[in-house]
Amino acid sequence: MKRLFILCISVMLMASCLEETNPEFDQKSFTKIYDNNLFSINYFPIDMVQTADGGYLILGGRRLENSNFTGIYLMKADKDGNFVSDVEVEEGFVNPIAQLAFINNTYQFFCMDPLTLQVHLAQTDANLEAVNIAPVNGELFYPCAAQVDGNSFVLLSYNHVDKRSVLAVLNANGTVSQSQAFSIGAGEQVEEPLINHFIRTGRQYPFEAGRIPGGLYYFNGFYNYTFSLVFTNFNQDDPSGVVQGIQDDGGLSAVRPLSATKFAAARFNFGDNYLLPNVTLNPNGISSSVDLAGNTLPELEPDAHVKILRTTINNKNVLVYGSNTRSKQIGLYFYDEATGIFITSKYLGFSNPFEIAQVISTDDGGLAVCGTTYVAGRFPRICLIKLHPDDLEKVK
Amino acid sequence: MKKLYLLPCLLLLAGLTFGQAPKKSGASFTNPAQAKKNSFLDKQWWLGFKAGINLSQVAVEKRYSALSPGNYDASLTDKAYNDFSNLGSQATLEVTFYYKGFSFSLQPGFRQSAFTYSNNYEWTDPGNADNRLELNYQNEQKIDHAEIPLIFKYDIIGNKLRPYVQVGVYYGFLINANKTVEVSGTDYASGGVNEFRNDPVIIGAKDLFAKNHWGLLGGIGANYNLGNVRLNLDIQYRKGMSLVNSTENRFGSDRLSGIGEAMDDMKLNNLVFSFGCLFPMRYLASGFKTLDQR
Repeated sequence: MKRLFILCISVMLMASCLEETNPEFDQKSFTKIYDNNLFSINYFPIDMVQTADGGYLILGGRRLENSNFTGIYLMKADKDGNFVSDVEVEEGFVNPIAQLAFINNTYQFFCMDPLTLQVHLAQTDANLEAVNIAPVNGELFYPCAAQVDGNSFVLLSYNHVDKRSVLAVLNANGTVSQSQAFSIGAGEQVEEPLINHFIRTGRQYPFEAGRIPGGLYYFNGFYNYTFSLVFTNFNQDDPSGVVQGIQDDGGLSAVRPLSATKFAAARFNFGDNYLLPNVTLNPNGISSSVDLAGNTLPELEPDAHVKILRTTINNKNVLVYGSNTRSKQIGLYFYDEATGIFITSKYLGFSNPFEIAQVISTDDGGLAVCGTTYVAGRFPRICLIKLHPDDLEKVK
Repeated sequence: MKKLYLLPCLLLLAGLTFGQAPKKSGASFTNPAQAKKNSFLDKQWWLGFKAGINLSQVAVEKRYSALSPGNYDASLTDKAYNDFSNLGSQATLEVTFYYKGFSFSLQPGFRQSAFTYSNNYEWTDPGNADNRLELNYQNEQKIDHAEIPLIFKYDIIGNKLRPYVQVGVYYGFLINANKTVEVSGTDYASGGVNEFRNDPVIIGAKDLFAKNHWGLLGGIGANYNLGNVRLNLDIQYRKGMSLVNSTENRFGSDRLSGIGEAMDDMKLNNLVFSFGCLFPMRYLASGFKTLDQR
């Protein structure tokens, strides 16, 4: 009888170890590459959000036949990462920028009219059934970067008439409530890299805009001939504080405020890259990014594109740095938010080149990384890599 | 699904308990010596070794791919499996208890299964016929399992040549797995017709396969008595009843998912051919041989 009992237990244990088709695993971790069998199609991701149904909405750009600017591409994937639908927005609107924000129950982002260069606010829904685009209520041109602050947007744009970087606060309807303009400097040469950025014939600058929680507003962009981090309270013509770069050879490649003076940042300096997960910046004074120490990562490509995510993984508050390596992988670097101490790293992609566009936290406490891969080594295609917290077990 | 496991479990239980049933004494023999001899001849233990080849067939439960197409049907790039076309091998230790024509056999062994599939992709340009690339991915999987089959056999006729039929269950434990990917194609966009074949990439793929699996088996075979040794030819069809791939680690290999490769949910069926020899474990006396020589 005892032998029979042991046998029963053994058989049950063996049965419990067997594999079954499990839909839960399908959404836990996956790698998806959104292919298109057209030889010359070129979609690239800009930003991504997870929708309420667990799926993913990707804002992307596309090459246009009749314009130097970037067209607008939107794509929906389901919770398993499978392609659901996409929209190629008409060529009358171009230059979409991050952030793709969920505000007033719609997904919104900024773009512009290629003829008037006026900034427009686009709205869509989780299923991409309609895309409505309307001009913002204010003279804003060339959108560079945007971020949500409560129910408002903080938008950095470029005024080509006055050659000024313009930081503005807009409500969800696109009406400007505050704005301030800052000169980028005089002369045609100052503007050239900016225009090359917009038509994607030159370097893509890490423009950012945002607000220190409850405090000053900031933008990372051109100011006074230099790519700088500029703080403002909108009340004074001059910035409250500036973290200067070195023309466009040095500056911050990403910045995320953690408190009034504490930031998670990354900087570039003549091709070198430094990650600064716990850096103190003075928003009310002038300093230089060159003086900031940081973790040198020679594995990153020169002047690497860097994304910073502040999130909680496995009950630990962490800063996730996502960037591109020289070996054409996406590198994720995890730091303790409280101390800035390095925790672990993870590399995504192999065989074909992979480049990061955005990293977000997901409903299950994991991460989703959106980027570009080159199928067959040549065709740029959007990819989405989902990581479950179990895949990030070293983050503790 | 778990309920389905009860059937083989019960079969396994019944087999083991019956196979180890206590001896029953004969009740109505008139000649005690003859009765003892007959009783002895009713039973035998056999120990032996078998080895051979196997061919695999994949039964797809659900298809997966890391490539999610936006403008063409995903089925166009489905994996095309080549069933029963790749040779695997196996080696088995056999322990069999024979009782009045019926046998219960435990056959722990090692089995390497191999199967292949291919994917085809094509990129074209409606505006320029020269802008075209065709790619073919050939994937070969070799999976090593330790298996414990429990088999019930029935000898159809009892002679020097003893054909039998058999049914049973088996449980497998993953030992190792490798995957070889070979990419070939034709590039029409480089100024001519460029046919190429890249060196195969061999990847350790143990994490991509299930740690355990089970299945049912049935088959035929024959024993041939050669002196005290029994030669055995055995043919089995093994039907996988649980998935052989890992559902959780489907995208666990960056090397594979990076090229759009992800394993389907699949069960593995095998056609197994073995040849071996068996030795009797019980002898009555020096002049008396095995029960098969009555």
